[in-house]
Amino acid sequence: MKAFKKVFISIMLVSALLSSAACGGAKDSGQKDAPSADTKSESTEAAAPESSESSAEGSADGKNESSAGDGAINIAVSSDIVTMDVHKTSNDYIVPMNVFDTLFEVVLNSDGSTSIEKSLVEDYSVSDDGLVYSITLKDGIVFSDGTPLSSEDVKFTFERMLTLPDSEQTDYGASIQGAKELMDGSAKELSGIKVEDDTHLTITLSEPFSGFLAQLATPSTIILSKSLVTEAGDDFGILPEKTIGSGPYIVSSWERGSGLTLEYNPLYWGPEPSVKKVNIKVMDASSMDMAFQKGDLDILDCQRIDSALVESTYKTKYADSIVSVNRLGINYLILNEKVEPFSDPKVRKAVQMAIDRQAILDSIYNGDGKLEDGIYPSGCLYYSDANQGWLKYDPEASKALLSEAGYADGFDFEISLDSGSDDSVKNVIQIIAQNLKDVGINAEIKSYDHASWLEARNSGDMPSFMAAWTLDYNDPDNVIYTFFGSKDNTVIRSNNYSDEATIKRVAAARGIVDPKEREAEYAALEKKLVQEDAVWVPMFSLKHLYVKGDRVESFVPHWAGWSDIYFKGVTLK
Amino acid sequence: MSAFIRRCVGVLLVLLGVMLLIFIVLRIIPGNPAAVLLSEHANKETIERLTASMNLDKALPEQFLLYLSGALRGDLGQSYYLKRPVLDLVLEAFPFTVKLTIFSAAFAWIFGIAVGVISAVYQNRLPDYLFRGISLLGVSVPVFMVALFLQYLFYFKFSLLPLLYDGSAVSMILPAIALGWNSAGSVARLTRSSLIEQNNELYLDTAKAKGLTAKAALLKHGLKNAMLPVITMLALQLSSMLSGAVITESVFGIAGIGKLALSAVETRDMPLLQGTVLFSAFIISLGNIISDLINTCIDPRLRV
Repeated sequence: MKAFKKVFISIMLVSALLSSAACGGAKDSGQKDAPSADTKSESTEAAAPESSESSAEGSADGKNESSAGDGAINIAVSSDIVTMDVHKTSNDYIVPMNVFDTLFEVVLNSDGSTSIEKSLVEDYSVSDDGLVYSITLKDGIVFSDGTPLSSEDVKFTFERMLTLPDSEQTDYGASIQGAKELMDGSAKELSGIKVEDDTHLTITLSEPFSGFLAQLATPSTIILSKSLVTEAGDDFGILPEKTIGSGPYIVSSWERGSGLTLEYNPLYWGPEPSVKKVNIKVMDASSMDMAFQKGDLDILDCQRIDSALVESTYKTKYADSIVSVNRLGINYLILNEKVEPFSDPKVRKAVQMAIDRQAILDSIYNGDGKLEDGIYPSGCLYYSDANQGWLKYDPEASKALLSEAGYADGFDFEISLDSGSDDSVKNVIQIIAQNLKDVGINAEIKSYDHASWLEARNSGDMPSFMAAWTLDYNDPDNVIYTFFGSKDNTVIRSNNYSDEATIKRVAAARGIVDPKEREAEYAALEKKLVQEDAVWVPMFSLKHLYVKGDRVESFVPHWAGWSDIYFKGVTLK
Repeated sequence: MSAFIRRCVGVLLVLLGVMLLIFIVLRIIPGNPAAVLLSEHANKETIERLTASMNLDKALPEQFLLYLSGALRGDLGQSYYLKRPVLDLVLEAFPFTVKLTIFSAAFAWIFGIAVGVISAVYQNRLPDYLFRGISLLGVSVPVFMVALFLQYLFYFKFSLLPLLYDGSAVSMILPAIALGWNSAGSVARLTRSSLIEQNNELYLDTAKAKGLTAKAALLKHGLKNAMLPVITMLALQLSSMLSGAVITESVFGIAGIGKLALSAVETRDMPLLQGTVLFSAFIISLGNIISDLINTCIDPRLRV
């Protein structure tokens, strides 16, 4: 009997431990995915354990370093990275962005537009059929340990991306000729990349894909060193001294769970950045707020802290220090065609007209954003404001459409909420439900934990949800193909769009070589999907706000509004 | 000795039960870890490929047997998310949690007992009311509130202590107080009531008759007897601190077991969660055995 009691008590203790872990989990994740529920850059997750507790370097109390003049800045993130190996993550881009280089880079122009510029590439040309990219690399580029960067490294990078068993980045090499054969094991090499000499190579695609150049400008396609990565083996991306890139910074230390330190790479081929050292610390929201106000942080990401606090403190006390960038992302509402009565375009159209998006933007996001009436967010390649006005808030017309469709008395449906999303998302959905009630539609908000929510959405059965999509690379294909590019994609995004002809057109649009023709096709597709078929309820795009500290002269946020910053774009006073 | 062996077998059974329980619970919760891992920007093929690489496409009993046979060989599997062996991760994190627990226990015991004794000695006088109020706050304020308040006061207002844990002993002060605060409150209350109870014992009258002042008699003779229930409680509190560490570690950025378990829950990292829970169960069972052994040594009556 006594033994039983012990067993029972032990189990109770363990379950207590577990339940407190679960509760803490819900609370924590509620704070971090702000304000868009599920964009890539925000959802960096979870902390790794600390491997050593050595040096007290980079401590957040700010007493021991970063006094002006030494070129060091302090940055806070809400959770530690998991790996520095870009092929094994789709979240952690801070190291790939700052320690490695891509062939091309995206430049954010002062008018908010973006352009693709050459980075590691000296010169390039694309064949008339859009299939062959002939690339000349810059001469004399070396990795931070002195190893030269050559065409072989480019080939190696894409082969590794495609063949690593747990690669999360295969999409970025999938359009290259021979990718399929390499992935299924029938080929040993990636036939689409031909190395001519150390600085010359050609990349051949299996079919034309105009977004390819934009893909070559994202951190997903940073160039790794063949010899260094092969030599490092499993330590690549795990040990700082084995994770060597050609970018402006090197990783000088990574204390698991508490943060990392980057330092200037003296062998960097580009201009010397103003910031020589970056201390990146993992903090929770309230710590960030305290540390920034105390001067121990140099850049504060407003998305990581309470939005009420941003409004009450930062927009007043620090009004002159706020830096904002338009997020190349769009918040949208999905209505699942498979779920009645959403199979009727009139009903979907009625929902489009019933939501007062301006009121939502003003009340929840303090007006820090812009209404979007299409699929591609403002700032996206080929974006045109010709779509403005497609959606008008008009409850009366909405009611009329509903009765035309035979739902004069409205209907019931469910909006699924990811409980891990930021409070603002929850509030937006509340207002949407209220708006819909005004036209007689009864929307029930049902909350799921993040994993269950993803599961339901991926299965194609989720009736309706609101989320945001932030661009990975600046091409309309990145958003439209994700949602409407294939039957699988329509299922995994739970829209179940049924018009197969249009789905085929979306897939085919990737391959249009002539820019004018391509632009026209994307505009036509947007019109078809949003205005005619109403399968997508565009909401708005938001601004991403940062506050810079006293020592920071200026900085350029990520062009798409990701939370990760290119530190070479920061200048100190 | 045979009793000891029986206990060890009992522990093994507990661990097996815990393994089965957590395995089943984790599989009942909906959600595909591969999908969570890949988050938003993933297509169907990538999710399927990753699901297969995690063995998640195999039948449940097969998965459990795979896990069990690994565990018996000391292999708790590979973390889905952190992509490293679970055992390594747990062993790396454990020293931090131990350090935090020891510091907070030390704070809770020293502070708690001191307050309790002062309260009892000045029973129903000003210090008593004051300290009783404090210890009531101790047992009733949740850990994260204490943590935030401490950070605000000692870091933000007075710049005395670091905001987060950075490896130095100084930076361990705030986390230790935050985690030890609740325990300190209950220790103080128990010490006080236990000591006051001793007041009615006859042996104290004897001591007083021998010429000791009431205060000296209580501290010299009463305290020893009053400590027995307190010591029992201290042992129990160690395991509750282990669970309170989840919150404290998150707030102060300490890379211990609690933070590891938390990240495992968030990311549906089943091997890691199984590993952290199993490890905690093991430590708690071990603690129980040791405390039993100590009790048996101290109190001969228990040997019968």
